[in-house]
Amino acid sequence: MSVIRSKARSLAIAALVLPSALVAFSASASGDGQWKGGEHVYQKVCGHCHDTNGDIGPVLAGRGLPPAYITAIVRQGFRAMPAFPASFIDDASLQQVGEYIQQLPAPAKE
Amino acid sequence: MSEQDYKVLPRDVEQGEFHQAIEKFRALLGDDNVLVEEAQLKPYNKIMMPSEDAEHAPSAAVTATTVEQVQGVVKICNEHKVPVWTVSTGRNFGYGSTAPHHRGQIILDLKKMNKIIHVDAELGTALVEPGVTYQQLYDYIQENNLPLMLSFSAPSAIAGPLGNTMDRGVGYTPYGEHFLMQCGMELVLANGEVYRTGMGGVEGDNAWQVFKWGYGPTLDGMFTQANYGICTKLGFWLMHKPPVIKPFEIQFEEETDIAEIVEFIRPLRINQVIPNSVVIAGVLWEASTAGVRRSDYTSEPGATPDAILKQIQKDKHLGAWNVYCALYGTPEQVEVNWNIVTGALKQLGKGKIITEEEAGGTEPFTYRAKLMSGVPNLREFGLYNWRGGGGSMWFAPVSQARGSECDKQYALAKEILNKHGLDYVGEFIVGWRDMHHVIDVLYDRTNPEETKRADACFNELLDEFEKRGYAVYRVNTRFMDRVAQSYGPVKRRLEHTLKKALDPNNILAPGKSGIDLDKFNDW
Repeated sequence: MSVIRSKARSLAIAALVLPSALVAFSASASGDGQWKGGEHVYQKVCGHCHDTNGDIGPVLAGRGLPPAYITAIVRQGFRAMPAFPASFIDDASLQQVGEYIQQLPAPAKE
Repeated sequence: MSEQDYKVLPRDVEQGEFHQAIEKFRALLGDDNVLVEEAQLKPYNKIMMPSEDAEHAPSAAVTATTVEQVQGVVKICNEHKVPVWTVSTGRNFGYGSTAPHHRGQIILDLKKMNKIIHVDAELGTALVEPGVTYQQLYDYIQENNLPLMLSFSAPSAIAGPLGNTMDRGVGYTPYGEHFLMQCGMELVLANGEVYRTGMGGVEGDNAWQVFKWGYGPTLDGMFTQANYGICTKLGFWLMHKPPVIKPFEIQFEEETDIAEIVEFIRPLRINQVIPNSVVIAGVLWEASTAGVRRSDYTSEPGATPDAILKQIQKDKHLGAWNVYCALYGTPEQVEVNWNIVTGALKQLGKGKIITEEEAGGTEPFTYRAKLMSGVPNLREFGLYNWRGGGGSMWFAPVSQARGSECDKQYALAKEILNKHGLDYVGEFIVGWRDMHHVIDVLYDRTNPEETKRADACFNELLDEFEKRGYAVYRVNTRFMDRVAQSYGPVKRRLEHTLKKALDPNNILAPGKSGIDLDKFNDW
């Protein structure tokens, strides 16, 4: 990770106040581009479509879908669902997100 | 895998030759980064176009993590005349997705190159690698409390700034013309050299991300939508996040209102009262992103009758046209511009304004507000549910920001789409003086007959628009050669002259934007 120049001073325009003295930072929670388990992958990728009450992608939670099924659909895509190669979601993280989805409880009825 | 087992081969490359190349890739990248098994290649062959999957099947895929590895891949490709189709995040939906231009090209997948090299909060600049997604960059900005705001296309959460900018994509903020905000590229050329545009070639320079032009010829544009180099780093500008962002919508009742809408918007856009890339979304775009499916209303095949469109509009409280804008700045600045906008609308005498408070967290207002304020989401994929079946092609003619032009384009597009039993699902993205008229040609790809119709429809859209002097700004891989013809023979000869000089072995993405030394013969 290279050094980040991010020391921010207030702009001349008083109304546009920037946070002061941001120090150089190390690898962070998601900004480092590394997957950190099933829940993380779900939040950052899957959930964008599948946590929409079925508006965009079908609800996956509460169906006990097996990880092998999730893996197959993610790798091949399905109709409008895009396919994700291992470069995007590696095999281990995909297995983890499959396990995470499998144990998700059904969403509460609104 | 023995050398006789490759099911798909590049054009004019024999099994043995290809096997040698694969072995060299393995030595360079490691076994795990050279993919030849069918299951591994499946994700690279998922397309939304009306072609057979086989026409866009890669022979292999390789993943690189360093510039040196990319140079090595290019060297091997030259040695064995193996053509390579490079992808960054590979999320070019509606334009070819991740798949190669044609069967047999290998994929060079740069998704694993995902370093955010630097972000400068004071200057509002970033330098990133190809695999960085907007979501990753957004998280990075949030986690480090940087006062910056992103601009992106709708597949924001999974697409990335490098790929989108290199394909000259657009977004919805004041920085929505992404290529305009590009500042500094690093490219691996076909001869293996690493070229930096702008100030990037100067040893010790620190102005690479702030001054575009450098010295002598400024070549950045030449590498966009092109196949003259592999972009390994991209610099670009980010907005400072303003204290206030005020998204709002204006609904118009009639489809015939489009000309007046554009005349109303243009002076506000050109004079930066409304600074962002405004969207004028048609009713079906609006409905499908709100969760409406065609099957909710009819099971009849073919074009959806106007009466149903009106019914959806009424049921879901939508406009025939739905204009999304935002104001940015201090509270005082926003108030001044708000008064100008509402005053102009009053003068127009039609259009119903809806604020964020009035929208009350409903869709599609919420996702539109996110796009205009740089918060990643994937809500727009609701478009794909309108008909279902995974068929999507962007037909994206450019037009002047002039009411009469939009009227003409809209009427023509709708007529052709309906004739082929498909629907007009479109929006205008208002630049400064131009419009990207983006129409999603949605069809059920699981239905062969409908797929055939979609293909015929797209051909006719291109033909009829061209007859009237309109051309698209970007297109999927199936139609790249066809669209290149629209722009005339001189441009094509020049492009192929450059290709000959820079990539004589024709290994970098042959076919991209119709540039392919093996196919071109109009010298």
